[in-house]
Amino acid sequence: MLQHVNVNIDGANIRAVRGTSVLDAAIEYGICIPHLCHVPYLPDIGACRLCIVEHVVNGRSNVTTSCTLNVEEGMVILTNTDKIRQLRRNLAELLVAQAPNSRAIQDIALRCGVKEVRYPFRNEDCVLCGRCVRVCTEVWRARAIGFVGRGKERHVDYPFGIRPEFCKQCGNCVQVCPMTIPPCDGPMKPGEEYLCGKCESQLMLADETPDHCVWCKLGEGFTCGRYVQ
Amino acid sequence: MPRLNSFRELEHLRELLREQRQGITTTVMVCGGTGCQASRSQDVIDAVRDELSTQGLDQSVRLCVTGCHGFCEQGPVMIIEPGNVFYCHVSPADAFEIVSQTVMKGEVIERLLYTDPVSGEIFQTEAEIPFYRSQDRQLLSKNRMIDPCSIEDYIVAGGYSALTKVLYGVAPDNIIKEIELSGLRGRGGGGFPTGRKWKECREAPGDEKYVICNADEGDPGAYMDRCVLEGNPHLVLEGMMIGAWAIGARKGYVYVRNEYPLAVKHSRIAVEQARELGLLGKNILGSSFSFDVDIARGGGAFVCGESTALMVSLEGKVGEPRPKDVHTVIDGLYHKPTTLNNVETWANVPSIILNGASWFASKGTEGSKGTKILALTGRIKNTGLVEVAMGTPISTVVFDIGGGAIDGNMIKAVQTGGPSGGCLPLDKFDLPVDFDVLSEAGSMVGSGGMVVMDESSCMVDVAKYFLTFLQDESCGKCLPCRVGIDRMLEIITDITEGRGRLEQIDLLEELAETVSLTALCGLGKTAPNPVLSTLRYFRSEYEAHINEKKCPAGVCKALITYWIDPDLCTGCGVCVQGCVHQAITGGKKQPHVIDTQLCQKCGICRSECKFDAILIT
Repeated sequence: MLQHVNVNIDGANIRAVRGTSVLDAAIEYGICIPHLCHVPYLPDIGACRLCIVEHVVNGRSNVTTSCTLNVEEGMVILTNTDKIRQLRRNLAELLVAQAPNSRAIQDIALRCGVKEVRYPFRNEDCVLCGRCVRVCTEVWRARAIGFVGRGKERHVDYPFGIRPEFCKQCGNCVQVCPMTIPPCDGPMKPGEEYLCGKCESQLMLADETPDHCVWCKLGEGFTCGRYVQ
Repeated sequence: MPRLNSFRELEHLRELLREQRQGITTTVMVCGGTGCQASRSQDVIDAVRDELSTQGLDQSVRLCVTGCHGFCEQGPVMIIEPGNVFYCHVSPADAFEIVSQTVMKGEVIERLLYTDPVSGEIFQTEAEIPFYRSQDRQLLSKNRMIDPCSIEDYIVAGGYSALTKVLYGVAPDNIIKEIELSGLRGRGGGGFPTGRKWKECREAPGDEKYVICNADEGDPGAYMDRCVLEGNPHLVLEGMMIGAWAIGARKGYVYVRNEYPLAVKHSRIAVEQARELGLLGKNILGSSFSFDVDIARGGGAFVCGESTALMVSLEGKVGEPRPKDVHTVIDGLYHKPTTLNNVETWANVPSIILNGASWFASKGTEGSKGTKILALTGRIKNTGLVEVAMGTPISTVVFDIGGGAIDGNMIKAVQTGGPSGGCLPLDKFDLPVDFDVLSEAGSMVGSGGMVVMDESSCMVDVAKYFLTFLQDESCGKCLPCRVGIDRMLEIITDITEGRGRLEQIDLLEELAETVSLTALCGLGKTAPNPVLSTLRYFRSEYEAHINEKKCPAGVCKALITYWIDPDLCTGCGVCVQGCVHQAITGGKKQPHVIDTQLCQKCGICRSECKFDAILIT
């Protein structure tokens, strides 16, 4: 028997299945919390921090990621306050400056309201969301790839840099990778990266209906949990 | 030694050992801590031991190799009882004199006594020295009479009596109540109330629980945990046993970094000795309490000092933090309830049990009780480990204990709490060492590092140093810590190299706020503190770097030029020989000139010049 708890997210009383995360409960209900490293069928590690929400406990609010926070009876969550929006925008700005060359990352930045990027662009090939590592480890139990190195040196690699025999080249890691989605053809050519703002129409949509999931095209771009399901 | 089966047997052993030691008239205590070892105290120990045996004194005189005394700068240090004579900077050649004069006749060798650098006075005993006088050494004072490799020493000094007290008479709930009443807060940095942690862990569901001692101290300049674990491992073990009994744990771990070989060795010996005596293992002292401790060595990652990363590392996985939405007291090591405390926190427990909560609470301030060990380093006269009551003003620590600035400079700031702490300016020196007050001021007590800086330190460069450290030590799991710190460092590097723009300061501030609110673990959350606190108190220095392209302290290489004052230069040519880049030219007895194109700003010429003719602008 599934047990249910009552959670209050952005003022809406939601009946959620015990054991699910706040992010899953919110998406299920149609409340949009932007996210990147979360994939519905994979365990969450809270790496991208985009899905931050305010968790109000005894009048004090803690900022925490909704993907790692499990629902509990009587919980009060705010997903769309000014503070959260600003923090999320700053995070998305860091993210898009790191890897502007993917449609997924561009869409996330747009969804989070990034209009200008104040850092020099870097054209990294990986944002270390860990989707590939988790799908390989948790779904296929292959452990053919993993994180190597610490801090700035952290990257995804085979053990000792050589493809092991137990990598069946199933390609799941590529499928879940947000960096494989080609960037929008207008801006972001290597060497002349900028946010062109041509997706203004979609940006307006994101601005106007910030907390309701409208099955936006952006979500398709950044492989929102809703599209994966 | 036979296994002890009841607390009477332990008391009997204590009596027996005390009787045995009555014949000893003189004790020579030499510091064998890492600090003094580095100044070759092992040679001194060997020399004294040889000297004692050649003079036939090895039966009546006891040579005790102790843990750290705290005054590492003066090492190797030695104390001779009776008389409590304190010798510093002892060399092996002094052994003969020490044994034949001080040990045999009780005469004091003035040459080896401590001379105060401030007043020039000579002091004979530890208690008179200004460095020790203003301290309240509850934990560190125990180091000076105990050989860390000898459980007998610890038992003679009254050790394990707190354990017997709780095993035979205090219910676990009452222990927790006592700890809660004492107001003890975690000494590792967070300052979480220890009693509440224990209570939550005791109440957490599950039979299998763990206690962990966090000895993975990684802050640059802080070494108080090493000193306590190295100098008095049984005290930490006793604290852990009491904690384990209180929360219902049967297994404990000491997670100590491998860079502390002496701490690893001493804690291993301590665990073996305690097992042999039956103080660890099944049915300790004949009671129903069973508990064992293992020593785990850490690879030296800074992030493994964070509680969840430490537990993951202990499980044998890569040491990366986990989200802490469920606390470790419920979901900790192997997903079992776990109480993790710092070395110093555990070491405080036995004396709270013995002397009562009110004794402990009588020291300190409203929110922070007891004493705290601080690692005092930097540009001051006396450096070393300092233990003061909570609430002692920073000025007392820096000026009374530390003796003030060296070279007649002005003290500018103090950096407290290691890389996660902040810098406080001189006008904040009246603030007390208190968890809440320092956090409010933008810094923290943290693990207790205290780095004093004078006017030769550039605060932007200090922030850059800590960011470089943190960028290097960040595990890289979450975006704000990995990329955020990297971007902050990028901006600060721009500022120190003269490419800074004013709006970058606002960006830096905004980014720092974002990182501190959104990072996954405590390391990331506190990583922007050095930036935020220097921005708060030393904003003018940032602005000078940006607007005037000048480094006021003359540290940031891109913004300074070396030049020779022709009036002061005597043309001696020492700088020419010192300069590895051949940037200095000039004839004999003629003022020299630095070629700014060739000059690499290494500063060798400046330190070589006897006439202070080389200046920085």
